Amino acid sequence: MNVLHIAWRELRAIFHTSVGWLVLAGWLFVTGVFWVFMVQSYVLQSQDVVFNPYAAAQLTVEDYLIEPFFGNCTIVLLMLLPGVSMRLFAEEYRQHTFELLLSSPVSTAEIVLGKYLGALGYVVVLLLATVHYPLALLQWTTPEAGVLAGGYLGLLLMSSALLAMGMLFSSLTSNQIVAMVLAFAASLTLFVLDWGAATPDDWSAKVALMPHLTDMLQGALKVSDITYFVCFALFFLFATHQRLESHRWS
Amino acid sequence: MIQVENLTKVYGATTAIDALDFTIEKGEIVGFLGPNGAGKSTTMRILAGALGATSGRALVGGVDVFREPKKVKRMVGYLPERPPLYVDMTVRDFLRFCARVKGAEAPREQVERLIGRVGLEPVAHRLIDHLSKGYRQRVGIAQALVHQPQVLILDEPASGLDPAQRVEIRQLVQELAQGEVTVILSTHVLPEVEAICGRVIVIDRGSIVASDSLEALSAEGTSIRIRVARPDEKLFAALVAIEGVTAVSPSDDGRVVIAASTDVREAVAHAAVGHGLLELGGNRGLEDVYLQLTGGAA
Repeated sequence: MNVLHIAWRELRAIFHTSVGWLVLAGWLFVTGVFWVFMVQSYVLQSQDVVFNPYAAAQLTVEDYLIEPFFGNCTIVLLMLLPGVSMRLFAEEYRQHTFELLLSSPVSTAEIVLGKYLGALGYVVVLLLATVHYPLALLQWTTPEAGVLAGGYLGLLLMSSALLAMGMLFSSLTSNQIVAMVLAFAASLTLFVLDWGAATPDDWSAKVALMPHLTDMLQGALKVSDITYFVCFALFFLFATHQRLESHRWS
Repeated sequence: MIQVENLTKVYGATTAIDALDFTIEKGEIVGFLGPNGAGKSTTMRILAGALGATSGRALVGGVDVFREPKKVKRMVGYLPERPPLYVDMTVRDFLRFCARVKGAEAPREQVERLIGRVGLEPVAHRLIDHLSKGYRQRVGIAQALVHQPQVLILDEPASGLDPAQRVEIRQLVQELAQGEVTVILSTHVLPEVEAICGRVIVIDRGSIVASDSLEALSAEGTSIRIRVARPDEKLFAALVAIEGVTAVSPSDDGRVVIAASTDVREAVAHAAVGHGLLELGGNRGLEDVYLQLTGGAA
């Protein structure tokens, strides 16, 4: 119960600040622009292949519209999530409100989990705010449900991993900007890490984010990919927990 | 109700509190006194479970603070030096949140009762960010009371309040103590301690230098305050040399405080007259005792 109380307060607090609404507005604007441009370019491509039945069959909405759209969303999230996670603990330190949670009968694990779920709840709001884009396609075609589900799951899993990492940075400093910059730098590093990888078996390709997302965004769920994100998030949740405990006892 | 044994807290190279030992009975109102940085806040934070200790033991209601923190926190209400307030919430929402995480029974009813009790009705629907300092402090106190604790730890509850508000807080604390709530409070305002605390624990540089009832502390020896035109080393040397004088320290208002075990007024007057004696006065109660105990650091 305590976890839910803390999560609910956190989610409300995000919407009580301008940052919460700004991130939501920015997210809708950028993804909206992407969607419109991509639909336009898809329409143009379709006109080109009108007399070529084979090419037309290849040009599916899944492969040429929805999947690239989700790919673009990952980049937008990469930039926005540090702004969501930065305040989680840094704000509490700066406002001296952390004492309230520390002196309440809740465990450190409950505090960490509550705050994390609150921030994740906000990401769910962001993702839900985009479902009308693919749903609008229903007028003309029925996109494959698996691709949509895989895409949203991929975005959610990636967010849950990056938020957990951002939360650790937020727990290290009382300066939100520092927390944001560190989270962004680390996220970007993980994003580009595999660009130099020669083969998919390279260590860098195993650690990087994107290789674990590509299949999911195409609608193919693999246990290894899901495990990667879950372990990623758990590791940083645990690290945050340890950081707070050591802070209390040092 | 509260037992502290050998409690020590070390931050890096500095020892914040050094082997503290004290006991507080149920229903007592105890004042923590001491200069800034003496270790008052550290001790209070540890008792509230917000901070771990380096060594030693602390029991609240017979329960170990470090072994069963949740159980202790349910019994303790804590107001830190800076009231922990989520300024983006309204007073009512904030207190409801506190009531829930602190495990209060019937949170909604409890919050309404409390809003009436600490006089928050006019601002209950307002954002905490928009409140005056006095109201914020009240929200802070309400936050500490919301789960009906048996022990109340207040770190400078009256800071930033005007005299009328101070009296209100004082009355509230006294009322609570009558209801068998044990109260520990720290303050810089000595008259406040004299007004409500049954006992005083004076802490200086991490150690307890006195722990007694106010009457006993004030009766301990006598002290004289003098004001001279030319206070210098010679004067201090002459005063210390007087038989019966135990301590000589300058006070913050430019006077010199002389502690003695016997009546030394005549001898002091004799020694000071050559330095331009302007005033010679008697004991000023707790304040002098405090200055002596803490080496005039206040």
